[in-house]
Amino acid sequence: MGQFIQLFVDGLSNGSIYAVLALAIVLVNQATGMINFAQGGMAVLSAYATWWLTEHGLPLVVAILVSILLSFVLGGLIERFVMRRFERGDPDTAVVVTIGLLTLITGICGWLWTYNNKQFPSLFSLKTVDIFGAAVSVRSIGTFLVIVAIMLLLQALFLGTKLGLALRAVAINPQSAAFSGLPVGRLLMAGWGLAAALGAVAGALVAPQLTLTPGMMDSALVYALAAVILGGLSSPIGVVVAAWLIGVLENLAAVYVHFIGYDLKVAVPFILIFVVLIVRPQGLFGRKVVVRV
Amino acid sequence: MNRKKNLRLTGAVALISAVAVTLAGCGGRDDSSGGARGGSAGITDSTVTLGITTPLSGPTAGPGTCTVAGIKAYFGAANAKGGVKFGDGKTRKVEIKALDDAYDPQKAKSNYDQLKGKVFAMTAGLGTPTNRAYREAAISDEVPQVLVMTGDPIFSDKGESPMQLGFVPTYINEGEAFGKLLAASGKEHSVAVLSQNDDYGQGYVEGFKKGIEGASNVKIVKELTYEATDTSVDAQITQLAGTKADVMFNAMSITPLAIASLQKAQQLNWKPSWFLPSNTSSPKAILEPGKATAFPGVYSVSFAKAPQSPAFAGDEDVKTFLSDLKQYGDYSDVPAFPHCMWSYMTGATLDQVFQKMTKPTREDFMKELRTVSAFSAPLMLEGTSVDTTVDGQPAVSTVQVQKYNGTGYATVQSFG
Repeated sequence: MGQFIQLFVDGLSNGSIYAVLALAIVLVNQATGMINFAQGGMAVLSAYATWWLTEHGLPLVVAILVSILLSFVLGGLIERFVMRRFERGDPDTAVVVTIGLLTLITGICGWLWTYNNKQFPSLFSLKTVDIFGAAVSVRSIGTFLVIVAIMLLLQALFLGTKLGLALRAVAINPQSAAFSGLPVGRLLMAGWGLAAALGAVAGALVAPQLTLTPGMMDSALVYALAAVILGGLSSPIGVVVAAWLIGVLENLAAVYVHFIGYDLKVAVPFILIFVVLIVRPQGLFGRKVVVRV
Repeated sequence: MNRKKNLRLTGAVALISAVAVTLAGCGGRDDSSGGARGGSAGITDSTVTLGITTPLSGPTAGPGTCTVAGIKAYFGAANAKGGVKFGDGKTRKVEIKALDDAYDPQKAKSNYDQLKGKVFAMTAGLGTPTNRAYREAAISDEVPQVLVMTGDPIFSDKGESPMQLGFVPTYINEGEAFGKLLAASGKEHSVAVLSQNDDYGQGYVEGFKKGIEGASNVKIVKELTYEATDTSVDAQITQLAGTKADVMFNAMSITPLAIASLQKAQQLNWKPSWFLPSNTSSPKAILEPGKATAFPGVYSVSFAKAPQSPAFAGDEDVKTFLSDLKQYGDYSDVPAFPHCMWSYMTGATLDQVFQKMTKPTREDFMKELRTVSAFSAPLMLEGTSVDTTVDGQPAVSTVQVQKYNGTGYATVQSFG
């Protein structure tokens, strides 16, 4: 029983890593209507910025805040000067551009800071607390709480504020949004900026665990995308729950389902996606897309 | 409209001629690369060129960059002193052409194709899949692929790989060394095994099992694996901690996972003696962040003096190495990866072979390559040496088991 609880808790803490990236993907999707594959790369770049600032003597919390601000600006600039050119065209082109961006940003990070692993200071200590017989680190709990907070904030932003409404309007139908007087360009910039800022938080939460390298987020990104599909593109709460589900099920399947084991556990989230998409194509928590004819 | 068309035509013609000129240029260079009269490609009376394909970008770029920096440092220093004196009486400068393969086998092969006509031999490149990617081509082209950084035993098997020789100990050599030490401890041990699910991990486990063969005091209580692409091994550590084994054999090549394993075990209050492979045992990059001092002992194997270790801070070899590395290897940090030291030794070993070569041919090179024995290359630990004469073994097959002492490693003769 002790092992079961420990595996469950470990799964939640792995899932949190996927969740934080998934949240950023949802944010961009809600604000611009596309999937941004560069999200992981941008989070890594922000994490490097944070790391660089701490290396130059800034306290960690200040460094993270500065990096969030820088990322917001950079995200906006990328939208304005790179993505803007592709937004009017074929959405597939834009998605491919984000993949290009991911490669580019990873390369830039490697070029500036080498591919060596960098030790990233952690906001939370590694001390453990005993919860129902499982050892849980303060870091895991901290990450968990921050994610819950971001999730609620995003949910509130999209469903409860004028800005959220405007962002969604622009994403769903930029033309009508423009006709109704919304500053579409600025809203798109804001959407990317917000997502990049969230990426900075994600980077700071994940980097102590994975150690900072340019490719740090690559495998996490795959899981994050799985969580996004599973939870539903439009629901912050949905993707977080899905990410936790993936983390926990993966662990439990590896240990308790013998033919899966550690070799096949990577397939678990994707089998899950398969099943969910057949039963509920919009994802567990997603809204059905209805097109009026 | 017409003018535009003309312009485009002119452009096309210009482009075609440019390509033609380039091709002609390439052809010309290929012809002249024959080098010294009667000699092989890549060697003239005054220079010899070595080729390297190794990861200089991507996740393995850290160690990969080191494989170039080390050999550049060695031969940079040798060139500054005039060059290397070959057995045929000529003194040659050694040039290095290094290309990035990003640990991608396909790229490694195309790098090889690019280099094979221009270099005398391929050497020092890191990576099992990448070195394997052009092994067969090198055999059929008769291009030496020697002293490469892979623990895969196929490279040291003369029958299978006549143009190859590995430099570093095989994974099996390493695992076996630790297994033997454990078997000789005289105490009862239960061992938990966590290994990477590929040739690397399997090689270590195979060697370890060979080392403890027949020893009744050592029992493996659980064996688990992980994939090299996994982001976490928390679940495995949790499961292994449940066995309460007193020794953890951790055949892991991924830096963040190695750190996370050490941390997770401490959180679960499981503190066994711990074995880590040579390429993931760096005190600065792994053991310090992993707080390895919490364990009764962290063991690894090595054949190179570690510059970070205080035990070698004043060592002459280490001092020369670090200054060469900075001056000629374009590498200003104290290296966190042993690959910098390994490729420096590769340089020294090649130097030995060059001194013996009486003809500037690849054939003679391969013959002399197999004759170096009991050579103590700079930076080698006491008790280890380069020996290329044993078929089935890489150039370095002896390793010393070492124990982490909080700052660096010290060689140990017994477990505990």
